[in-house]
Amino acid sequence: MPKKSMTLITGFVSLVALMSFALKNEADFTKGTIHSAKKDSIESVKAFKDVYKVLMSPRCMNCHPAGDTPLQGDDSHPHSMLPQRGKDGKGIYTMKCANCHQATNLAGLNMPPGHPDWHLPPADMKMVFEGKTPQELAKQLVNPNTNGNKTLKQLLEHADDGLVKAGWNPGEGRTLPPISHAAFKKAWITWIENGAFAPSK
Amino acid sequence: MISLTINNKPYQLDIDPNTPLLWVLRDHLDLVGTKFGCGLAQCGACTVHLNGEAIRSCVTKVSRAEGQKVVTIEGLSDTGEHPVQKAWLELDVAQCGYCQTGQIMSAAVLLNQNKNPTDKDIDAAMSGNICRCGTYLRIREAIHLAAEIQQKNG
Amino acid sequence: MTQAKSSINRRSFLKSSALAGGGLMLSFTWLSSFKEAGKLTDPELADKWIELTSYIKITPDNQIKILNPNPEFGQNVMTSLPMIIAEELDADWQTIIVEMGPHDNMKLGPQFTGGSNSVRMYWKPLREAGAAARQMLLSAAAQTWNVPMEELSTKDGIIHHVKSGKSGNYGQFATKAATIPVPKDAKLKEIKNFNVVRNSKKNVEGQKIVTGKPLFGMDYKQEGMLIAMIEHPPAFGMKLKSFDASETLKMPGITDVFKQELYPEDFEQGGFDTRTFNDLLVVVGKSTWEVMNARKKLKVTWEPRGDAKDVFGGRGGKREVIVPGALESTDAQRKKMQELASQPAQELRKDGDPEAAFKNAAQIIERTYNAPFLAHNCMEPMNFFAHVTEDKAVLAGPLQAPGWTEPMLSKLLGLPPEKIEIQMTRMGGGFGRRAYGHYLGEAALISKKTKAPIKLIYSREDDMTYGIYRPMYTATYRAALDANKNLIGFHVKGGGIPEHPVHANRFPAGAIDNYLAEGWSIPSNITIGAFRAPRSNFNAAAEQSFLDELAEAMGKDPIDFRLELLKRAKENPVGKNNDYNPDRYASVLQLVKEKSGWNGAENKKYSRGVAAYFCHNSYAAHVIDFIIKDGKPVVEQVFSAVDCGIVVNLDAATNMVQGAVVDGIGNALYGALTHKEGAAEQNNFHRYKIIRMNEAPQKIEVHFVQNDLDPTGLGEPPFPPVFGALANALYKATGKRYYDQPYGPQLNPRRAF
Repeated sequence: MPKKSMTLITGFVSLVALMSFALKNEADFTKGTIHSAKKDSIESVKAFKDVYKVLMSPRCMNCHPAGDTPLQGDDSHPHSMLPQRGKDGKGIYTMKCANCHQATNLAGLNMPPGHPDWHLPPADMKMVFEGKTPQELAKQLVNPNTNGNKTLKQLLEHADDGLVKAGWNPGEGRTLPPISHAAFKKAWITWIENGAFAPSK
Repeated sequence: MISLTINNKPYQLDIDPNTPLLWVLRDHLDLVGTKFGCGLAQCGACTVHLNGEAIRSCVTKVSRAEGQKVVTIEGLSDTGEHPVQKAWLELDVAQCGYCQTGQIMSAAVLLNQNKNPTDKDIDAAMSGNICRCGTYLRIREAIHLAAEIQQKNG
Repeated sequence: MTQAKSSINRRSFLKSSALAGGGLMLSFTWLSSFKEAGKLTDPELADKWIELTSYIKITPDNQIKILNPNPEFGQNVMTSLPMIIAEELDADWQTIIVEMGPHDNMKLGPQFTGGSNSVRMYWKPLREAGAAARQMLLSAAAQTWNVPMEELSTKDGIIHHVKSGKSGNYGQFATKAATIPVPKDAKLKEIKNFNVVRNSKKNVEGQKIVTGKPLFGMDYKQEGMLIAMIEHPPAFGMKLKSFDASETLKMPGITDVFKQELYPEDFEQGGFDTRTFNDLLVVVGKSTWEVMNARKKLKVTWEPRGDAKDVFGGRGGKREVIVPGALESTDAQRKKMQELASQPAQELRKDGDPEAAFKNAAQIIERTYNAPFLAHNCMEPMNFFAHVTEDKAVLAGPLQAPGWTEPMLSKLLGLPPEKIEIQMTRMGGGFGRRAYGHYLGEAALISKKTKAPIKLIYSREDDMTYGIYRPMYTATYRAALDANKNLIGFHVKGGGIPEHPVHANRFPAGAIDNYLAEGWSIPSNITIGAFRAPRSNFNAAAEQSFLDELAEAMGKDPIDFRLELLKRAKENPVGKNNDYNPDRYASVLQLVKEKSGWNGAENKKYSRGVAAYFCHNSYAAHVIDFIIKDGKPVVEQVFSAVDCGIVVNLDAATNMVQGAVVDGIGNALYGALTHKEGAAEQNNFHRYKIIRMNEAPQKIEVHFVQNDLDPTGLGEPPFPPVFGALANALYKATGKRYYDQPYGPQLNPRRAF
């Protein structure tokens, strides 16, 4: 990603600045396989509302905590026994995620949910959702410096990431995100393809 | 048939691959040092080493251990010669003792990955192991002592 | 003692096969591993043991074995009771083999672990047993050497005759000594000459614990043994209506599913036969996981049980109690308690004229304290092995009081007590829970029905939702102060579900002229039981918080205020039945004051709270120091002072007090079991928070009052005052008084569980 655009997104907060960010990134878009002919800030921001609802739901936010301890449950309380993020996001010492979280969900209530790559964002890029406003989260998501070094193309593809999809397969007794994965994916793509605009707040 | 290597001994078992490792150890291999406490990976009493990591055997299907290296308390040292066991004995940590094998297995992983842990490291590493008798202060002290013993042993 | 020998025939079996070259050889035997605590005994010796008193066995080649009479649940009796015997026997502790004794109340005394009684009740009998055996050995040596017994001395298990230079070990004289009648008046050692007791001796089972040897009931195994689990109703007040086990029976390894009644109609229960559910839905199978898994396939219909009747037998004669059938919820329980609290209650004690004192008071301070049900949550869930045949029953597992459970088993099985053998394994915690032996009755009936040796196992969820909880309590304390801020009246009115917590004759009764204690209770189908001093651990939170507030209102230092009251109780006590010793009570406060550097400038950085309490015949006081870390109050350090008379095993006693402090902090901050429509809302550790390593204090400094008084309890006494000291320190840390347990969620609304 060109350094220039990163400075822009971090340097400006106005809608104009965000629009200019989107425009600046148009080049990347046209190079990618996904081509969007039209951009619509209103459509984009509208779609992000759904995106935000999902990302801030416990199934997504619980592993994007503000601190270094994951959250747990539909009330997003700190994970019992307070495991720590660790450098790679996979825990530390005796408390590695995979020590309890298996490759798949386990049958039964309150069992640790599973995924082969269960982890938090790493320490050098924490990708915090917890406590973020829609605007803050949108800006964070499009900025490779804060989104896990993802290009917009990679960001688009991220909707089908295994760990993202695990949010819709959370194990017995856990509430699903507020909309289906298909609806989420549609909103996600709509948001990005329409310019990845950030809401005003 | 599932092939397992536990405490450097090979085993072959005709068993449902979904059976938790904990119950394979306890019911089928008579390795009862690994304890059942909660069944949800909440208490740490069932901690064993899988490829050197402190996994909770109550939520780990035996199929995950197939072809991997499993160490239980009986394999850490059957005679109590591991620095952590020595430190536990020296400071007489245990009260009821039920959780202590899990505590010891966790502590051994911590000391393997951090030769000289601080109190903060210990707190972070050991908070997954519940001791209902409240021997935490002695566990903390024993881990420091085990680090010393480990260092002396080279 | 032939146990070690017979156990050879009961080898554990394996379904697994060892691979060639793997060297798998599981040659240990289960029963023998239970029986020996210290060194392993050579089974060949089994027939050579010579019994000297019921507690001591010696071989001719001088192996000395001591039987521990009382079940071990972490309180160290397996070590400290034998230490008492070894002291008077004057044997070398290092060479002694300790073994858990069989259940035999005739030979080995009351054999119950509970009420902080083990050391207290065994102190004298065990000293006498040790001294008697020593005297028998001395008599044998005197006869053998033909010298007067008075000229003989002992040291570390060797008998010396200084004049002749002769010496010999105990084993040499054991055979002869066994023919000498057990003396009734053997001379006891002078306390100043103790060299085992009052020292620190390592846990005799320490090596087995750290190497994971089979020690616990959960580890018990026998050839042909099946695993049984019970599906109990999802809520208090419910019962089994019908079930469909067809899917369960299709699951691998399942051998049987059936309904089993625990107590027949009008069964006369003893005091510790409490049971929550009577209709048991039992699943039996070959392995634990298979049974756990198959249980999930049961299709069960439960129904409200309605009011039920319990019948109690015992010394007071037959007594019937109606157990209400309502499905209770915590919110409704709280409301009901509030209602009851304002209604007249039973007067438990009255001194002077409390009504007049409150009428004439210049200031009345009134505070109400509440606490929820608490679950014991022993690390080892309830379980027991049973093998019942036509003519006998063998049971093995974790139990605090075999003598209390045996009569129930005898009645249930129709077997005389001598046909019932209960083997006590090490317990993975007890805290009072395992004094209630319903699970032995269950195991025994399941074995009888299936005609097989079985091990009954409770899952954590079964264990936590079964009941036998520490009751739900409330208490309102009122104090009347005159215009000069003197305490002229004191009133405590306590209530609970289903019992009230008030100990009417405890401090501060006896220290205040006008005193009134009242109690009330609300019946419930939620069963309760002993829980590390159940009433005391509530009182010590409430009363000790209240005294702290009073001290502040009176402008007094909280320790000085308590000492003033104790001085009054000693010099001019009010009433006659005060059940505490003011001097001993004051001594722990003075000791903790000194050791904690109370009011010391160097300790100003801490938010300090103090509390003291007396229960189970011992006295304990704590100073708890909070600091603020990352904006949250955390316990940094604790100073403890305890008077339990002579401390038998110093390091183990210290460990126990430290553990009680951690347990107290954890329960005060997080302990709570709540209900909705009769169902427990916490069923495992993800909802019921137990204190963890990261919340344990940095330091717990334990000091014992030095005296030569006969030892009293230690399991319970240090636990209750932790609650009060913690509440008082929290006030200092936050500026807010806390009245409702658990305190933790109020400090940090984002609960970490």
